Formats: sequence, C-alpha cells, structure tokens
Amino acid sequence: MLSESFVASTLSSAKSPTASLRDVGVCVHELQPSSILRSTFKKSSTLTNCLAVSPSHIFTAQADKAVLHVYNREKGNQEGVVPFPERIRSIAVAGGKYGDVLVLGTEGGRLIVWETCTGRQVATTASHLQPVTSLVVDPTSNFILSGSADASVHVWSLPGILSFSKPALSATRQPTNSPIRTFSNHRAAITSLAVGHSNGRHNIVVSTAKDNTAIAWDYHTGRALRTFLLPLSATSVALDPVDRAFYVGYEDGSVQSVDFYRSQSAQHPLHDPSVQSTPAQVSMEDRWLPPSAETGSAKTITLTYDGTTLLSGHANGKVLSWNVARRKYTSSVADYTHPITNLVMLPPGGIPHPSSDLKRKAHTIVKPRHDSGLSAPNHAPGAVPAEYMFHTQIIAPSDSRKPTEFSQALTHSSFPTSMIEDGLAELAAFRQPGNAEVTRVASSTAPARESLEDTAARDSQVTELENEVAVLKKKVAVNETARHNADDEVVQLRSDLANLQDYINELHEKQEAAQQEKVLRQARKQEHETKKREAWLAAEKKGRNGDAVIQKMDIDGAVTSDSDDPSDE
Amino acid sequence: MSSTTLRAITHRLTTTPVEQLPSIASFLATSLTDCAELLSTPQTQKSGKSDSDNAVQIHKLKTRLASLLQDRSVEGRWTAVILVKATVEAGQWEILRGYEPIVRSLISILAKPDPISTRKMCIITLTRIFHLTYQYPTLVREITTPQLPGFITAALNLVSTITKTSSGSIRKPKPNTPFMEIVLHALLELIPRHITIFRPFGAQLRTLLAEVIGSSSPAYFPGHVIDAAEQLLVSLHKCAPKDQAGSGWKDDCKSTILSIHRTTDHVFRAVVEQWESVDATLMHTRPNYSQEMGDGSSDGLGLPGWSGLHSGVDRLIALLQILSGFISVPSAAAVALPIGSILDLTSRLTSVTVPPNGAVSSQSGIQFNQEISRDEREALWMELPRIHIACMGLLSNVVGILTTSATAVTQTILEQAVWTFKGERFNRDLRSAVYGLLRSLVPVNGPAMTKQSVVSLMDVLRSCCNDILPPTGNYSSTANSGSDSKAKSKGGQGTANADAFLNPDLQKSRQAQAASPFLDVQQSASGLLQAVFVSIPAELVPPSIRAEMDRSIILTSDKDAMFASVLNPVPAVKGRGAGSSIIPFLTRPYADQMEVEALVRPRMPVLMTAPELDAYVDEDEEVEDEDMADDSYNAAPKTAEFLKQPVSVPLQVPKSDHSKAATPVPTFHKRTFTEEPTAEESTPQKQDVQSKKARFDEIIPTTSQQPFSQLAPAITKTDAPKLSTHVPTTSTTVTSQAPLEAAEDSDDEVPTLNIESDTDEEDDDVTMEG
Repeated sequence: MLSESFVASTLSSAKSPTASLRDVGVCVHELQPSSILRSTFKKSSTLTNCLAVSPSHIFTAQADKAVLHVYNREKGNQEGVVPFPERIRSIAVAGGKYGDVLVLGTEGGRLIVWETCTGRQVATTASHLQPVTSLVVDPTSNFILSGSADASVHVWSLPGILSFSKPALSATRQPTNSPIRTFSNHRAAITSLAVGHSNGRHNIVVSTAKDNTAIAWDYHTGRALRTFLLPLSATSVALDPVDRAFYVGYEDGSVQSVDFYRSQSAQHPLHDPSVQSTPAQVSMEDRWLPPSAETGSAKTITLTYDGTTLLSGHANGKVLSWNVARRKYTSSVADYTHPITNLVMLPPGGIPHPSSDLKRKAHTIVKPRHDSGLSAPNHAPGAVPAEYMFHTQIIAPSDSRKPTEFSQALTHSSFPTSMIEDGLAELAAFRQPGNAEVTRVASSTAPARESLEDTAARDSQVTELENEVAVLKKKVAVNETARHNADDEVVQLRSDLANLQDYINELHEKQEAAQQEKVLRQARKQEHETKKREAWLAAEKKGRNGDAVIQKMDIDGAVTSDSDDPSDE
Repeated sequence: MSSTTLRAITHRLTTTPVEQLPSIASFLATSLTDCAELLSTPQTQKSGKSDSDNAVQIHKLKTRLASLLQDRSVEGRWTAVILVKATVEAGQWEILRGYEPIVRSLISILAKPDPISTRKMCIITLTRIFHLTYQYPTLVREITTPQLPGFITAALNLVSTITKTSSGSIRKPKPNTPFMEIVLHALLELIPRHITIFRPFGAQLRTLLAEVIGSSSPAYFPGHVIDAAEQLLVSLHKCAPKDQAGSGWKDDCKSTILSIHRTTDHVFRAVVEQWESVDATLMHTRPNYSQEMGDGSSDGLGLPGWSGLHSGVDRLIALLQILSGFISVPSAAAVALPIGSILDLTSRLTSVTVPPNGAVSSQSGIQFNQEISRDEREALWMELPRIHIACMGLLSNVVGILTTSATAVTQTILEQAVWTFKGERFNRDLRSAVYGLLRSLVPVNGPAMTKQSVVSLMDVLRSCCNDILPPTGNYSSTANSGSDSKAKSKGGQGTANADAFLNPDLQKSRQAQAASPFLDVQQSASGLLQAVFVSIPAELVPPSIRAEMDRSIILTSDKDAMFASVLNPVPAVKGRGAGSSIIPFLTRPYADQMEVEALVRPRMPVLMTAPELDAYVDEDEEVEDEDMADDSYNAAPKTAEFLKQPVSVPLQVPKSDHSKAATPVPTFHKRTFTEEPTAEESTPQKQDVQSKKARFDEIIPTTSQQPFSQLAPAITKTDAPKLSTHVPTTSTTVTSQAPLEAAEDSDDEVPTLNIESDTDEEDDDVTMEG
C-alpha cells in the first residue's frame, strides 16, 4: 500500500509526556495515508543531527553520554549500545541505499567512520577546532561534509578515509585521513547542512550559520555560488527534491523558503557568475509564521517525497506541516512533548524505488572492533586483512543470469511453443516404426526385444529390394548412355550438314565468279579484235602494212594482259 | 464466455481420438489459460446453476486428465502433461488442491520409457507444482511432503546410478543423458523452498555434483550443465543440519578458498611466486616436481583429483565460479563474506601474469622455477588469461554484492584489474572482463578518485577506445598505412592484401560481417567509457585520452556515451576560452530522442521562473491550461489526499489583462483560510484582479465552488482568497524590496515551486519559449 512515514527523535526534557510516550526517544510516524504513530523506540535523547536511519537500523547518538544507541527496525527493539571514546555530536549514514557505513562527528572535532557490516572503524584527524555539529554525505557516497561550531565546513573523501591501500600518499603531501577541502566563508558556527540530489559534478550544498547567512556552494570546487542574507539565524535547512529551492527553519519557530530561480535567465541562476558575488537579501516578511508563538525554534525540517509538504520539528514537541505551494502552516501532525531534534523521512512504501530493491540485508550490526585484526598486516602494507568479513544476508542473486530454457518453461502458462513443437516432432518420429529404436532410450528394453525378430525379416527384405534397385539403376544408366550417344550423333550430323551447306555455297560463289571472269575476258577479246581490225583498216588506208601494226598491238596487249592474268587464274 | 470455452475443451478432450490429441494440445492449453478466472475461483463461492455446471466441467476435466496420464499411448500421456501444466498455471491453489494422484502419476511417468520430451515436460510440471505449493502449508502437507522425495529420487535416477557403500549412498552420473541439465535446474529451483525435504539427499547430491564438476575427459558435460551443477553445489549449504545453517555456508566457502589455494600450488609450480598471504594460517603444499602436474586426492568439497595442467586450470576456474556463486546466490541466513580472503586469493592469482615476449626471468619480474621445463611454463602462460578472466568474474561479483560498501577495497581491486590488464591485454575475453569489472567499480569510488588512480587507468581506456571502434574500420586503416610504408621500403612488393586493392568494396562488406562477433567486448567497453565520463572528474582525465574517447564514441554514434560526455564536459581552462563539447554529434542523429530534447531545450528553469510572491506578473503570455487542470485532476485519483500536489501552473496569467469588467464574485468570500496578517497584500489594481477572478470562475465554475480540501490539485492556481479580505487594505504600501507590480497578482498566483508537474506542462513550456 502506498504509505509515507517519518522518523522523529527527541531530546528528553523536564516535561512529562503522556503514558504512551513515556521514555520514548524515537518515533516512527506514518504521515500518509493516515497520520498515526506506528512504532516507538525507548530510552534515547538526541541533539540535532544525531539521528541516522538505514534500511535496517536506526542510530541515535546520545546527548549527554559518549554512546550510540542502535535500534533494529525489523525487530523493533534496541539492538545495542556502542560506546565511543568521546561524545558524538552528529551522525550520518553513508554507503548508498544499503546505508552500512556510519559517519560520526565527535566533540573533539574528528570524524569516526564505522562500517557496520564489518566492524571496521577508522578515525580521521581532528581537523575541526570545535565539535562537529552537522554532517551530510553526498548522493554518490564519496564525500562527507562536516560543519562545526568553528565556522568551517570540511569536505572529506570517503574512499580516501576507508581504502585499505592508499594510492601514492607522498604525492598529496597531506597527512592521511584529513579533509580534502575546507569551506570557510561563514563567520559563525555552522548550524545545518543540506546536500543537493545530483550525482554529477555540479552538485551543491547549502550551509547555514549563526551569522544569519545561508550559502549555496559547490563542494567539488569549494566555490561559493550564492550567499543569502537571512532575516534571522537559521537553525535547520532542507533542500527541495529537485534542488530548486531550500527551506530554513528559525529560532522563533517560523520557516521560510528561498527559491533559487528568481529571474528568467537561460543560465542556471546558481552558476551565473555575475550574481555570485552579490548576496541575496531574503525578506523578513516572507517567513511562514507558525500558528502560535509557543512552538519554539524549528530545530529540524524535512520535506515529503513529493516535495509539497514541509515538516518541522519544534522545541515544544510538535511536528508541524506546512504547505509549500501556499507557503503557510497547515496543521500539527504530532506532539511528542519533548523537543523534537531530528526528522528523517523514510522512502515511501508502495512506489518502486531503488532503495527498496535490495540485494542483501544486514540483520545485525557488527560493533566496532578495536583489536588490530582489521588493520593491514605488517608484511604487506595496503593489503586487505584476512579477518575482513562482510556480515550480511544475500537475498537476491546479484547478476541477472540469462533466462534459461528451463526458467522460461517453468513460468510459462503451459509450455513454450518451441518445446511443444520439439515434442510433436519427437512423437511423430516415435510413431514411425523404423525409427522407434533411435528415439527410444536405451533403457526401454521390452519393446526393443519385441522388434528383434521383425528386424531380421525386414533386413532380408531390405537387401532384396536394394539389389533390385541396383539392377534397375544399372539399366537406367545404360539407357541413358544410349540416348546420350544418339543425341551426340544427331548433333554431329547436323553440324556436318551445315558444313557441307557452307561448302556448297562457297563453290557456287566460285563458279559464279569464274563465269563472270569468262564473260569479261570475251568482251575484252572482242574489243581487242575490233581495235586490231580498226587499226589494220586504218593502216591499210594510209598505205602501210596493217599486219605490222597488229603485231605491235599484240605485244602491248600481252604486256597488259600478263599483269592481269595472275589474279584471274 | 469462459464457461463455454471450458465445456468445449472437456468435450474435445473426451471425444478426440487419443492419437490426434497432441496436435491440438497446444491450442487446448492456450484456451485453458483463458479460463484462468474460472479455474481459480474458490468452489465454495460458487452457487447457482451455471456455477455448479462449471464445477462439473472442472471435475470432468480433472478426471479426464488423470485418466490420460494413465493412458496406454504415449500421445495421451504427452498431451496430459501439457494440459496439467496449463491447468496448474491457470487455477493455482484451487486446482492444485486434490492433485495428489495426478502428481503421483506424473512421477511414475519419469520411470517409463516415454519420449524424452514427455519426461522433460514432466519434470518441469512437477517442479512448478512443488514450486507453487511452497506458499500454502496445507498443500505442502497434502502434496509436497509425501511426493517430493519420490520425485527427487526419480529425477536423480534419470541422470545417475546409485551405489551403496558403507558410509552412505554414492551417485555416479550417467554419461550422455539428455536430462542432466533439466534435473539440475529443477533441483536448484526447489532446494531453497523445501530445505527440510532435501536434507536427506544432501550427501548423495554432493557426490553426484562433485563427479559432474570434476569430470575430466571421459565423461564430458557441456558448460551450461557444469554452471548449473556449480550453482546447485553452492545451494547445498542450505541442506546442512538446521542448527548449523550458517556454518554450512561458512565451511563450504572456506574449503572452496582452501581448495583454490591448493590447486594453485600445483598449477603455478612453474614460477616462484612472490605473493605472501595475509592469512598466516594458510598452509602450502609442495608439489612434486618430478611427476606430471596433478592432485590425486579429493578436496574439501569432495571434488575428485585431477592431472595435467589443462584440467588443473579447468578445476581452478570451476572453483572460482563456485566461490562467485557463494557470494552471489541468496543465502539461507546472515553470512560473513570473507572479503579479505577473497582479495588475498585474487591477489595471488593475478600476481603472475604473462611476461612480455622474449623477456627473461629478471626483466619480467617473474622468477621462473628452474626445476620445471620451459614447455610447461609456456603452457602456463597460455592458460593464464583463462584463470584471470575467472578472477575478474569473481571480483565483479564482490563489487556487485557490496556496491557502495565496497569503498574500502575498491582501490585494491582496481590495482589488481589494471595489473592483469597490463600483462594480458592481447586476450579479447580478458579485456572484456576487465572492462566489465571496472564499469561496476568506477561508479563506486570514481568521484573521489585521485589523479594517480586515474592515470593508472589510461592504458585500459586507450584500448577501450580501440575496442569500441568497428574492428575492420580499424583494421583497414592500419592495413592501408602499413601497406603504404611497406610500399616505400620494399619497392611496392610488400605483402599488402592484394584483394583489398582489387575490390575496395570487399572491405566494407567484411566490416559489416566482422562487426558482430565482438559485440560483447564492444558493449562492455562502451559501458566503461560511459562510467568514466560520468563518474571520474573530467579535469583528472588527460586531454589526449579525453579526445580519443570522444572520437571513438562519435565514430560509433554511441548515444549514451555521448550523453555522458556532453553532461560532463571538459572544464574550461583559464585563458583558453570555453571548452568544446561534442553536443552537435549528439543532436544530429538523435534529435528525435526525448533526452536530447531535455538536454538542449531544458524546461525546468523556465518553469521555475514561474510566479513568485514578489516576482514579475505582467507577462502577457497566453497560457491555456484548463485542459491541463482537468488532466492532472484525473491523474490524481484517490490518492489526491496523499500526494496532495498543488499543481500550480506556472505563468498562469489570465488572458485578459485589459478587460476591466469588474464583476466581483461572491464565492470568494466563502474561502476560509484567509487570516494572514502579512502586509504584502496591497492590491492597487484590485479591479483588474477581480475581473480575472471572474474569468476563472467562468472557466472552472464547478471546482472553484468546492471547499478547498477537496479541490483538485490544479485548482490551487486560482486560489486567491486572501484577496477579498484584504480589499479594504488597499492603501498599505508595499514594503521594501517586493516589486510593486508584483503585488497585483501575487495573491492571484500561488507562489509555486511547481512541484511534480514537469511532464504535464511541456506543452506550455514550448509556447513560452517561443
């Protein structure tokens, strides 16, 4: 069912609450659909920023003692009390959706990182001069931001603190486990931190301090993006789910929203360098006022999943809800008598959310171990010690294996088509008498014996038939070759015929040519004769000897005809 | 409708000759699925004539199926198995109740010489039945508890032969059985659900699986059978006696690790290992150098001995996969994953890599064992990549299960992966495995990576770029350049590919052909590039590598990787102007994609400049969102109370700023929550505002009349009740910074953050942009 809840923790005070809330320090309260108290955990008293919730556990750092209470959400009981050498002033959960790394900020200004599944505990240098009062871990679980009463915010690299093998320590020239960056634009104690929701390089953090400022800055570079001058000193801060605005709670119980998007510029307003240096004044009158003056300071604020309702925990023990869109108080959600110091929204139930899709579950935490078993062995610095064990229950296979034929068939409404078709083919083969032995498994002895005699008889028949087929095949082959031969012959003859035809044509042509030659020659002869005769007559007329002329002409004619002859013959 | 279908099914089932049933079996099964509602309705709720008729039909169907299962013909039994499965799926609890005789006949089919498909489907059906009964204690008592042991025995008899010894029963796998894989899968499916019933079979199963996994050449099983056997062996820890379920896992896991160390002692005997264990208790066996490599005795998991380098490596890989199984298969109880020991183990296995070609002992940093022949050493070099691929798989599983909690060990894993890659990048599968591992590793600690770590990744990234390019595109270019240089040096008589000159098209077609076989390495390479773009700070990546990465993803038109590159641009260096972006290469081919649209024309900032208490109000933008108001009203059904989202529409400015028809509407005075003692509500242009009110009431008359608590989310935009009460206070001056003109509409428009409705309002944004 769709539901949304929050966890609230209180600081014990002199006031005595109703019987049902006696001793209660942590409340799990359902906000939607109906506003009721779901479960409580007892004997806890926390300051602001001293509550952390993981999917399996709730951690509360106690206000006056150097101990941490661990409550099991699954079993609903107190699982343990973990003592620490100094008081814890703020805690935060790292480790992504599993939340099995706990970061603790101490009174002395150092951080302690505790892997709750392995029991490994690493402390950093005491880089803060004052108690660490606020802690946040960025969405990638790579950076820790710690705010302190000494007005500075340190950025720490979580892998840098936790990693067994530290790459090239000499190059950084910094002592191990020290912050990688420090933000010191604030002039007074840091009161609260809220980190943006981006996994990328341009994520922001908003820090508020007692100097009445809130600064939005980029923790990857340490650059201040915008300074907001608040009308009062903010006690708590929360960021919109889409990082469009932030909300601050004040000492007098009022809250206020500060919108990043004021002007219609194409550039992201926080990354517009022209306004980065000018602080933005936030109007005093814009505050959303509480219903009465007795609510006390807004010690903690948080937003619902959809970002439309703001919840604030107040010093008089009330949780108030505010409508973000209408910018005003709507109702009082709960009253726990003691000052409410922390509010943590739980992810909604009923909506598929990455945080609900867990591959493993930690049933119990492993308390920090102080022996040397978890430090790297001497002979191999940087190596992971053999005692390093990760206590958890694996509840879902980590790699999505390819669905096998079996798993598909198992959840199919009957059987996959391919499987049925294979089966049909096998059945068909099963019915063929000759193939039965092939498909039947060797263990099926009875039917095999039955068909033994049949097989012998059938075998002889088969050989007979085969012989017959061979003979027939031979005959066919002979016929075939004969037919081929006949065909070849015909083709041969045809080509011969064609050759002959060609030859005849050739001869005809030659004959014709000879005929023509003959005619020509006759014509030439006649011409020659006529010329002779004419010449003779002409010579006779002139009184000369005609024969002589004729003779002369013959010689000429022979010369000319000689040159022609070879071509004629 | 479904009751007639059911009657038709029973009719056909009884009248069709049994020989012809198989051909309609599939069809009948589908029709049975359509009757799911009828079959799953509890019988007690049925009353009246038609319902009792249905009950009769269901009874007939069950009876017919039961008789078909006992039928003499194979066709009858074949059909019955399919239909039983279909009824079980459709009817679930209602059908399963009273299916005990059917289950018994199904089990008896397993022992009959039926076709393989009948028996395979029989196993699946039975698995499904036992699988479904798990949730219902009554069915478990009725069906599972009496029948499951019989099924396990029958299934095991299909694939193995049993021999009784003094210490218990031992099962030997039958060679070449078609049922091995399906039986293993079925057992794997059932063990986590019925642990107590499997407990007596634990020892038998272990002997069988040890034989299957440890099988050497004579009895061969294909890879997927061995995979299934390995998973089953891992699940067997659940069969340990109830009081020590956790220790069963621990012991099995520990003996796997020890067994790997022992096998490694033998396999790596050709080199002198430099590795030193972090675990002082680990004992080494000293192999006998004079004999052929081998291990005669069985190990802690019961796997038999082996001999020869190749089968030794096979064993090593099988053991590594079993270990991967231990840290990825769901466990019965909370367990302590021995991360330290696993990393110690992989550190040992990856410390020996293939030395570069021709390197002698001293150069490569690997000390050779002089007692072992050169042949064996070179054979080991050949086998090493296989071992390392299995190591990468194991490490991937470690990262997969720890995810962000792996922070403490990521650096160690990264170093091992990069070291292995350095030695054996020639092996494509190894490259693919390293890419896959780094792809899951980089998001864990990428954002906080140091320069040194990033630099150590450079080799991997460079080869990654080569791998995502289509192989022959790469090939042809190198071939061309190679032949050019050869042509110069050898006077054109080089060994250039003559075919490439003769037929230029040949290269193209080969490119198309060759693109497919390397798909997996391309995919993992592309995934790694994306992860690097997204997670590793861009300023730490050397510009040359960044350029190569950009070039490769452009050439392959890899949309997701280009997205990652565009969203994580190279930071501008001082004095060099703005950094370049490859965004044109993204928008050209993918202009129609939603993500590209969101990137290039973002909506959110525009929406967020929407009305503010004191922001501008005089924009004459024509926004019609009545439709949208309706939409969002419908879209927020009964949960409206829960997700009370005032879908305040941005820039909701009334159309008629100049229509001065002053018609005050009395309904406004009904609004209750108007006591806001703020001074901001000065309304110098009160008339104007009221005219707008009127318009809105005309447009949404019904909704504005409702009490606010029941208003649809979208209605909040018209909700400006303060106005009416503050009308008398017109003369109050606006204080300080609030722009004067703002006051006019400030009460008209709900100050919004405009939560939730980004998608709904896309249309508006478009118009606003224009």
